[in-house]
Formats: sequence, structure tokens, C-alpha cells
Amino acid sequence: MGYTMNAKGPVLVVGAGPAGLSAALALAGAGLPVRVVDHAPAPGGAVHRQPLPGTRATGTREHKRAFSALMAKVRAADIDICCATGFAGLDHSGAALLTGMRAGMVRPRGLILATGARELVQPRPGWTLPGVQTAGAVQTRLKTLGTAPEGRIMLGGNGPLLLAVGAELCALGNPPVAIILAGRPFGAAGLRLPLAYQVEAARHMARLLAARVPIVTGAHVLAISQDAGKLLATVQTRRGSRDIVADLVGLHDGIRPNATGFSANVPIPVEQAGDCHVALGARAALADGRRAGLALAARLGGRGHGALPHCAVLAHERAAQARLAKIFAPVDGPKLADLPPDTILCRCEGRTVADLRNLGPDCTARQLRLTGRFAMGACQGRFCGDWVAQLAGHADLGQPRLPLRPVAIADLLTLEPDTPDGETR
Amino acid sequence: MLGAGVIGAATAHHLARSGARVTVIDATGPSAGASGASDGAVSVASKKPGTLARLATASLLYTRQLAAEGVLARAFVPRPAWYFATLDAEEHALDALVAKLRAIDGPVQACADGGAALLPGTGAGVRRLVKISGEGHMTGYAATAALLDHPGIMRRWPDQVRAINPDASGVTLTLASGRLRVRTVVVATGLGTLSLFPGLPMRPRAGQLFVTDRGQGGHLPGALTAASYLIAKTEDPARLPEPPVVIDPLTTGQYLIGSSREDHGDSSRVDFATMIALIRRAATVWPALGERRVIRAFAGVRAATADGLPIVGHMPDAPNVIMATGFEGDGICLSALIGREVAKMALGDAPDGALADDLSALSPARFAPETWRDAWAG
Repeated sequence: MGYTMNAKGPVLVVGAGPAGLSAALALAGAGLPVRVVDHAPAPGGAVHRQPLPGTRATGTREHKRAFSALMAKVRAADIDICCATGFAGLDHSGAALLTGMRAGMVRPRGLILATGARELVQPRPGWTLPGVQTAGAVQTRLKTLGTAPEGRIMLGGNGPLLLAVGAELCALGNPPVAIILAGRPFGAAGLRLPLAYQVEAARHMARLLAARVPIVTGAHVLAISQDAGKLLATVQTRRGSRDIVADLVGLHDGIRPNATGFSANVPIPVEQAGDCHVALGARAALADGRRAGLALAARLGGRGHGALPHCAVLAHERAAQARLAKIFAPVDGPKLADLPPDTILCRCEGRTVADLRNLGPDCTARQLRLTGRFAMGACQGRFCGDWVAQLAGHADLGQPRLPLRPVAIADLLTLEPDTPDGETR
Repeated sequence: MLGAGVIGAATAHHLARSGARVTVIDATGPSAGASGASDGAVSVASKKPGTLARLATASLLYTRQLAAEGVLARAFVPRPAWYFATLDAEEHALDALVAKLRAIDGPVQACADGGAALLPGTGAGVRRLVKISGEGHMTGYAATAALLDHPGIMRRWPDQVRAINPDASGVTLTLASGRLRVRTVVVATGLGTLSLFPGLPMRPRAGQLFVTDRGQGGHLPGALTAASYLIAKTEDPARLPEPPVVIDPLTTGQYLIGSSREDHGDSSRVDFATMIALIRRAATVWPALGERRVIRAFAGVRAATADGLPIVGHMPDAPNVIMATGFEGDGICLSALIGREVAKMALGDAPDGALADDLSALSPARFAPETWRDAWAG
């Protein structure tokens, strides 16, 4: 097998969102060869997700202008962007496996992970029913297809994303039947947010109010059931519980950084950039991408590096996001420990709260995986790991293993041995 | 009982069945080492002729009995196995396999020997197949859990053994949690044994394994193994003409594909080149794999002794200390028998007469006395 390669390949940047592109620009500026990969069909990441060909783009004019400016710089720097290409991980020998359009093994001299944040969805009865999605998935659909799903849409959980998605649904002509928020964000505290945040919030709220979307605060989506082809969401409010009928439910309980793929056990320098590192949103992602790119360039001996710039943007966004988190602080709701026994925790393997309890009180993390089969499905615990660990009293269930995403065996059969520049196609 | 792997669990199970008071101590918990990161062939065909093949035969029969009694009913799955050859060297290995099983003439038989048509679904290039009957599959963690689930077994984890101090009437264990006085200690700590006995001629040998998703089509009724796997058991793995791939259909509908043999002990080390090499050969001989995805890779670390035999028996000069380690991937297969026999040793009972010679071949006394010299220092 001809897979011995030297680590002279271009720096690999995983993720073509603002953080990844910004890091790629910093690396290219330091004279280093760069290749960006992204599993989406076009660059942009979650925030600038591009519409499919022939589809009308959503988003504001300034939003589009910001992305166009970034892309113009990327094109000027002649950075190789491989879209529709997945990153399956970096192994201990320094080989990275790419899947999809530009499948192959590469041996990059450095790695930037700019894979974005993780969206949290807390398990509740019915959260895996058909028609229940994450609010992030609903937003992806809006951005790529440029149309709203048909039927009654309910959004629930907590966080500003729910208001943003609700407003986009209004703009596309299908306002949500209700937005349920665990927090109570509509107080005077919002006035202490930076102006840009207030402008964005005001724009969303104007759309939601104009469409008369009911927004219930301090309320919790307890359970979702299915009845005669429609979904029934049971919502607990201050005045008791009530059912909301919907065809689609978008759930969202916040975002977290995403350490997936970050390992110290690799022979090349690795930096994390943007929301996967600090979940602070798009403004911070540009700055953090530049920071990560410069830091990696310094570690690789790129030209023109020196002291990293003090990053006021990051500090500013960190303070703003902390304030936002406080504004959205959830009013106490149902406890994870009180979930009914038949609630599914691991949706890949269909494992429930009762399955977890049956393992006994002193179950090790290893037993949770081996005997309980938690975090052993295709997602490797990205959805259930936090909650299972919390319920079982563990810090975590262990990091996802390679490959970081499922790899089609058919793809592995077509890889060719490597070429002289340290890559395989 | 030091070690909550499959050997420790089987020994504790038999001790508890005999009415002994038994405590299992482990640094992590059940199946933390090789037992929880392995394929689970209960196989005679893959064993070296002689002692190991005879012990594996006896263990297979006893595993079937424990399954019939209910203890291993859910862990042990009887099923056929196939070995394939695509090369001359592999055909020779199949000849040797057939001859070996004929000589043993036990419960495991080469029940068919022919071309690729023996197993519908095999791919081009498969020249010859040998079908094996009488064997089975047992997942290590499932067996460990089933065996530990017996009344009277006390559990103590996570806890670390710092020192073992035997004397005329018993053993004093120094644990991270304090001291424990016991009559007899059984050391079934796999690779962890090296931290207690650094001079032991045992080394880690890692093997990478790959799990696919579930899918339709390509029903494989038992493991399909390259004959080069048989060669790998006896020869330098670097000299194999093709990867010694094993394609194992799991009860979940997934496939487990293994495995490499690497001289290190890092269970986090997996690499894409090995994955591609093993998966490619697997998909060539079993093309239905082309519809699947690899969802997880992991490495198990086997405890390999210098002479390729496990270490089982009373310690020289310290009969209250009994070793049961160094199984290098044969632990699941041998666990039922070894658990029963080590429990007898601990209780002072005579071994199964037919097995006495083979068991004594595993004695720690076969290593030079200085091997154990550092052991009692703590």
C-alpha cells in the first residue's frame, strides 16, 4: 500500500464558514498553502449557508455584502475550497481522510478545525418523532431552499435562534403557530446589549409581532406526541399545561462549542477556530478564525508573523453573549432526572431512560457504552452523550472515535495510492 | 479477584457458585481492557495445534453447557464459520486447518471444503472456502456482564492494586482505598499485570477493529475469515501477503471488521491506512459491504506472552497467588474453562484430569524465578 506520505501537504482547514475562511486568509497571508474543505455544496457555513442553485437567497443585504467581501478576499488569495467534501478525521500518523467530492487521504502540515457549534436538544418524550427537527435544521432548510415548510410550525426550547428562525418563517410567508421559550428575555436587560444585537432583535421582533406570532415565555415543551397525522406538543406554562397542534416542531435548547476531532495525539499542530472553539456567533468567528490562522502560521514558521493582535472583538462578543445568556436564563422547568422511563435518550440505537436505569447506579462510562449501547450509533453520542453522562453522573462518555463521520465503504474502494505532493485522490 | 475482564468474571462466577466469598477489584470496571474491545470468536479452528486447541475444545464444550444452563444463554451464539483463500499461501493454510481439525476430531469439524459457491455472496477472487461447524460467538462484554451477575460477588471499582504481599496464611493487598486481607488472590489483570510484575515476558499487541452501520442485503451467517489470519497466529505479521481480515456479522445487523496486529499498547491508535487496507480486502471477498458505512474504529490491546501461551496457575513460592493472564485474544474463548479451573485451584480442588497436563503447561513456573522477583516489593 502506498500510503506513506510526508507532512508537506497544504494546511487543511475544516469548515468554510467565516471562521474557517478567515483562518485560511491568515494562513495564506503568511505564505502557507491552504486547502479548505466543507461538507456543504457551497462555502458559507451555518450563518452564510448558500441557497441551492436556482433558489432565492434569504438574509439581509448587509449580511450578503459581508459574505461577498469575505469571498472576494478568499478568491484573490487563490485559496482551494473543496465543497461537498467531508472530513473523517486526522489519525495518529498525521493522515487525514476526506470523503465525498474530493475524497482522498492527505497529509497536511497543520490543521484548523472550524466546524461550528453543536446545537443542543434536550431529550423529551417524542423528540425523535418524524416531523420533530432541530431549529437549526429548520433554518438550514430555509436558507438552502428559500421556502418555508408547509403546515403548522411550532418552535420551542430556548435561545435567540428560535426568534430568528421564527422571523425568517414570517418573512417566507408561514409564521410559526407559537414560539415557546424557557427563558423570559423581554425585559429592560435587553437594552444593555450592544447596538448591533438590539437592531437584529428589533428586526426579528417586528416581523414576529406583525405576524401576531404567540410567544410564550417561561414555558417548557414537556412532550410531543403524534395523533392522527399531526403532532401535539404539551407545553407547561405558569398557568398550567396546554397542547399545541403542529405539523412540524423545531426544538433548540442552546449551542455549545464542539471539541469533536480535536486530539492532542496527532503529529501536526492543530488549532480550533470560531464557534467550535468559543460559541460566540458570526462576528466573533471572523476574529477567532484570524487568531487561529495566525497562531497556526506561527507554529508552522510562516512568514510575517509576530505577536498576535489583541482581539477586542472577541472580548466584546464574549461579554455580549454572556449578557444574552443571562437574558435568556431559563425559568426552572422539568428536570432531566424526571423524564418518563420510556423516553428515548440515544436515537441512533433507540436506548431509553429505563435502559439507562437498568444498568444500575454504579455503572462505569465503559459499561454505558458497551452494555448500554449509548453513544455507539452513527452519531457517536453527539446528541445523547451530554444527557446520558449527566443522568449517570459522569463527566462524559468519551470522545467520538475515528472516523468522525460515517465513511461509505464504496468511497474507500475508489481511493488511489498517494501522489507526490502528499495526497491521494 | 483482581480484574473484571472476562477471565476475572468467569473465575469469580465459579468461586461464588462454590460458595466462596469473592470480591472483584478493577482499576476501571467491567470489560475495561481487551474483553471490551474485541471480536468474540469461541473458536478451535483458529488455535495453534496442541495445548491451546485442546483447551479451546474443552472450553467450547463447557461454554455450550453454561449457555444451556442459562448463564451464558444470551451471550453465546452457536454459528458456523468460514475461512477463505485467495492466494497459494492461504490455500496451504487451509490444508493445514483441515488436517488439524481432522486430528483433533472433536466438536469442531471442517464440514465443507470447496469453491466460492459454498457461500453465496462471496466476491471474485475467492478460490477456496472451508466451512467450520460447531463453533460460536460470544461478545466479551456480554459474557463478562452475565458471569458477574451472580449473587454473592462483591464489586470494588474503581480501585488500584499497589502491592500484593503473600505470606503463609494468606495475602495482604495494598489498594488505593486501603488494605485488604484475603486468603487467595487471583491476578487476571491482562496487560495491567505488567505494572505489578514488570519482569513478566509479556507485551501489548494492539489490533484495530472497524464497525459498520446496519443495512440490508448480504446475509452472512457466521464469521468469514482470511486464511492469512491463521498464518498471522504463528508467523511474523509483517510477512503476510494480504491483510488477515475477519468479517464478523454482529447480532445487531452491523459488521465488525478486524484486525491488525501491532506491537504497541495504545488503544487510541487507529489509522486510516490500516482501515483502508482491511476494509478493501473485506469488501472484495464480501461485496455486500460496499453498501455499508464505517461508523467507528477502535483498537483492542491483547496481552501477548513471549511463548504464545497464557499464564495460568499458582505462583512459584507463593501458592496463595494465582495467575490467569496473557491470553492474547483467546481470553473470551477460554474464559469458561479457565474460570472453572482457576476457581478449583483457589479452592484447593484437583483439576479436570484430562486437562491436567495442558493446564500445567500454562504454569507461571515455566518462567525463570527472577521474572517474579520484583513482584512483592509493591
